[in-house]
Amino acid sequence: MKLKFTNLNHHYDAHVIRNLNFELSKYKSIAIIGISGSGKSTLIRLMSGLEKPSEGEIVINGMNVKEEAHKRRVGFVFQNHNLFPHLSLKRNITLVLEKTRKKSKEDAENIAMKYLNLMHLSDQVDKLPKNVSGGQAQRASIARALSVNPDILFLDEPTASLDPILTHEVLTAVEELRDIGKEFIFVTHVLSFVRDFADYVIYMHEGEITEHGEPGILDQPKTEELSAFMEKVR
Amino acid sequence: MDLNSTSTNKFKIGISYALAIFTFIAFVVFVVLRQTSQLRFSGYEDYSDLIFGGFLNTILLSLIALTGSMILGFLFYLMQKSNLKYFNAMDDIFTEIIYGTPLLVLIIIMAFLIGPSFNISNFNYMGILAIIIYMAPYMKNVFKSGFSSISDEQYMAMDLFGFTSFQRYFYILIPQVTRIIMPPLMNNFSLIIKGSALLYVISFPELFQNILSAQSRNYLYVEGYLLLWLLYLIITIPLSRLTKLIERKWSL
Repeated sequence: MKLKFTNLNHHYDAHVIRNLNFELSKYKSIAIIGISGSGKSTLIRLMSGLEKPSEGEIVINGMNVKEEAHKRRVGFVFQNHNLFPHLSLKRNITLVLEKTRKKSKEDAENIAMKYLNLMHLSDQVDKLPKNVSGGQAQRASIARALSVNPDILFLDEPTASLDPILTHEVLTAVEELRDIGKEFIFVTHVLSFVRDFADYVIYMHEGEITEHGEPGILDQPKTEELSAFMEKVR
Repeated sequence: MDLNSTSTNKFKIGISYALAIFTFIAFVVFVVLRQTSQLRFSGYEDYSDLIFGGFLNTILLSLIALTGSMILGFLFYLMQKSNLKYFNAMDDIFTEIIYGTPLLVLIIIMAFLIGPSFNISNFNYMGILAIIIYMAPYMKNVFKSGFSSISDEQYMAMDLFGFTSFQRYFYILIPQVTRIIMPPLMNNFSLIIKGSALLYVISFPELFQNILSAQSRNYLYVEGYLLLWLLYLIITIPLSRLTKLIERKWSL
């Protein structure tokens, strides 16, 4: 993936992303880590096109993320599953495919089942989100994000609201996607997952990228901030 | 063991409810005995058509007022959400005025003040319209809480997948909002039914008015008031039980 930030700034009331200039090529699975409030969730939302940056540009694989076409090549998994609560797991996917990707009923059904199977949910497909576990709902949400065949899958702390067992269950399912031919950008607090799944790590601190590199930087941090972070999470 | 304790618990709750209902019945019996030694409901047999007509009118007018106030309430919801400041201000002032006005006063003003100035002499229409206007701000709040309970992230997801405006409303927002607003909507329906008794001031032939007119002919006041009370409860208690059921079944 080719990634480029130019003079990137974002503020709500506070200044959340501080003048990022950054470039990256060749990596396929990028982890963004940092403490709460470091701006990592904001950054992933800006990259996915969910929010527009206050200033500056983000270009991914040659396309500015402001362009409408960018939305068609991304999948996004939210902290809380964010499935439409009145629809079954399967209908959550087929509705998207039928209405926004103009698939026939049968095609939509087949694609939905393919990804729900991939996420080990074939026996839960007709249940409402409230009637399955948090881990199952989050896996259905990943299936929904994949069903539109995105080039890049964004995951914003997909296990933040799950207990350790369910976290393991969801992250294992994500690791199985390694060879599916997608690129990944994800935010997580689970460092074992970063080591296993990421081929590049970006460490954010107070709205800036303080350190970045291949996952080895977790074991030999160069900056004080990342060392302090690693001390705390260890 | 576990099963046993839940069934004992159910038994205790059942007994408690039976005792509570008995307490209320005992109170009513006490009140009645202080007034009369013998209830003669048979005196109302001649007026059963009148009373049943009033009962149906109460239900019918409440359904009309419910529909009307939902439409008006939704318009005010749109005005509140509008980018046009004049609409926001209109909504705000309308809401303040209605919140400050007793329903009884609004009915009288609609029928005797506003109606005649538009050459509308049918008090009944103006009475129903008064209830519609009175309930509109409450309906607006129901819509407001319904739509605000859908998270920003759901809107983001809809945006990312590229749903059109129509698809958002038709497939995602309205089905969810309907489930969320059904219980408060039914509570408002109950408020309308109870409030509609005030239409007796303009002699609208609803339940209260019709029982009053039967009473004035057969002089059976105690029986009339008991009947009146009972008939309202026959509508409102099942409605409130149904509301609770829907609340449980439809929650998301």
